[in-house]
Amino acid sequence: MQKNLTAKQLAETARRLRKVVLEMCIARGGHLASSFSCLEILVTLYHGGVLRFDPRRPDWPARDRFVLSKGHAEAAYYAVLADLGFFPSFWLEKHYRRGECRLGGHPDHRLPGVEVSTGALGHGLGLAVGMAMAAKAERVARRQFVLMGDAECTEGAVWEAALLAARRELDNLVAIIDRNRIGSIDYTENYTRLEPFKDKWQAFGWQVEQCDGHDPSQLLQKLDSLLESQNPAPGMLIANTVKGKGIDFMEDDPIWHVRPLQDHDLIAAARRQVEGEPLHGDA
Amino acid sequence: MEMRDRFIDRIYRAALEDERIVFLSCEYGAPGLDRFRADLPDQFINVGISEQNAVSVAAGLAKEGRRVVVYSIASFITLRCLEQVKLDLCAMGLPVTIAAVGPGWAYGVDGPTHHATEDLALMRAMAGMTIFSPGDGMTVELAADTALGSDGPVYCRLDRGDFPVLGKISAADKQNGFRLFGGPARICLVTTGSMVHQALEAARKVAGQGVELAVLDLFRIKPLETHALAEVLDGYDFLLTLEEHTINGGLGSAVAEVLIDYGLKAGLRKMAIADERLYAYGSRDRLRNNAGIDGPAVVDAVLEAAGKRRSAA
Repeated sequence: MQKNLTAKQLAETARRLRKVVLEMCIARGGHLASSFSCLEILVTLYHGGVLRFDPRRPDWPARDRFVLSKGHAEAAYYAVLADLGFFPSFWLEKHYRRGECRLGGHPDHRLPGVEVSTGALGHGLGLAVGMAMAAKAERVARRQFVLMGDAECTEGAVWEAALLAARRELDNLVAIIDRNRIGSIDYTENYTRLEPFKDKWQAFGWQVEQCDGHDPSQLLQKLDSLLESQNPAPGMLIANTVKGKGIDFMEDDPIWHVRPLQDHDLIAAARRQVEGEPLHGDA
Repeated sequence: MEMRDRFIDRIYRAALEDERIVFLSCEYGAPGLDRFRADLPDQFINVGISEQNAVSVAAGLAKEGRRVVVYSIASFITLRCLEQVKLDLCAMGLPVTIAAVGPGWAYGVDGPTHHATEDLALMRAMAGMTIFSPGDGMTVELAADTALGSDGPVYCRLDRGDFPVLGKISAADKQNGFRLFGGPARICLVTTGSMVHQALEAARKVAGQGVELAVLDLFRIKPLETHALAEVLDGYDFLLTLEEHTINGGLGSAVAEVLIDYGLKAGLRKMAIADERLYAYGSRDRLRNNAGIDGPAVVDAVLEAAGKRRSAA
């Protein structure tokens, strides 16, 4: 069973889940800006017919595998998984970053729908490479996906994995980088040199596409292009995004990576914006 | 046959029968690996000098049902990738075996970069990690067989060089993770890895002076069968621990914990490497001598414990 929504429906789903994620983070903290940065990417993968899965059988052997390397976007991930029925939606309210943390502050492999535990950066690509290599060894058709943050690409292990994936010709692997250009405290290009990012990945032997990471139609098209390609290289989609997308005072501002949304006026403003109501003229 | 080659040979034979077994090397070879590479090219992967990635890739393979051995020099495959070991192997309980060559000062002259003098402490701290520290052909084969049959991560420290086989291991020894050499004695020396040979040599020497020394080869450091170990150790007045490892957190610490936990009355002296002796260069013999853990130092320590010699201090 999988979803197969149109681009317009995907945008609407992301809009709906943005409200869910906002309420989760208002209630319990969490990396709101990082989650809003990659919400359309997750929705496109899970609701857009890209990933093959069955929420009633999370361990269905033929399912595609997904790794959220940027584990700090767990709020968006949980909202998507709950929406698809991997676990009940009330968990988002009752168990997120609370008590026994059935939904903890980073994804755990024991959670239905979650393949591997993540949260320490620079692990996800290597894990995904191993899983993709296993699929090759088994000669099965399942695809391997991994969503990485751009700032985690300063971890050396990312490039260790990139080298190996190219040599192993892992054309069953598609990595997506949430390129929001912000790390934890600053803009990436202020402290490191990721650019020319596309050229770097190409030089490492990957087939690279770029698109607007908030536009499901572009995401669908580019993912499809990478998946259908006859090129034996692993695929990379650099998804250009805006950190904090959807809340104007949060967008593209590094201070919101970890800062909780606590101010009453800001919470009210954030709610108005994700509801899509007019900004001005309200009390 | 060198210990690591004996280990690899065991993995090779199992891999011939089981295509799920995959051997990852961090661009590191061994004579015993040549045949594996030639005969089983689909089950051998050189991941390059990239220990962090090697462990993550191993975890990814293991998660999908492969049985993975990841192989490198002990210093690199523990320290460089400790977070990957913790999170990708231990936190997910995946069946990956770390085959680590060159414990302690096995690479003496190569210096601190290649010295694995912290590995036991680090791996002991990893929840769910099984640790083998074999000292001869019997225990190294047991380590390989256990690793291949394990449901979780296993760390095997494999010394360089060839060591004589010290005799069979009983079913009880396998269960306990240790074996005892020698008859009735007041003093027992607990050791691990290839140090067991030095310990047995010391036992022969002190026997010539009328001192009986029992030697306990703790070839499985974790999980410890603490109850069985405490029962055995309770039979002695004085215990020595001997390891080619920092004094912080290794074999001696493990034995001391058992003494405290079980309220044993035996005295204890830990022979291990003091902080100021780490980060040195030298032949293995020279380094052991400087650190006070070589053969003569063990003999002196035993005689002192037996009341045959006054303390140098």
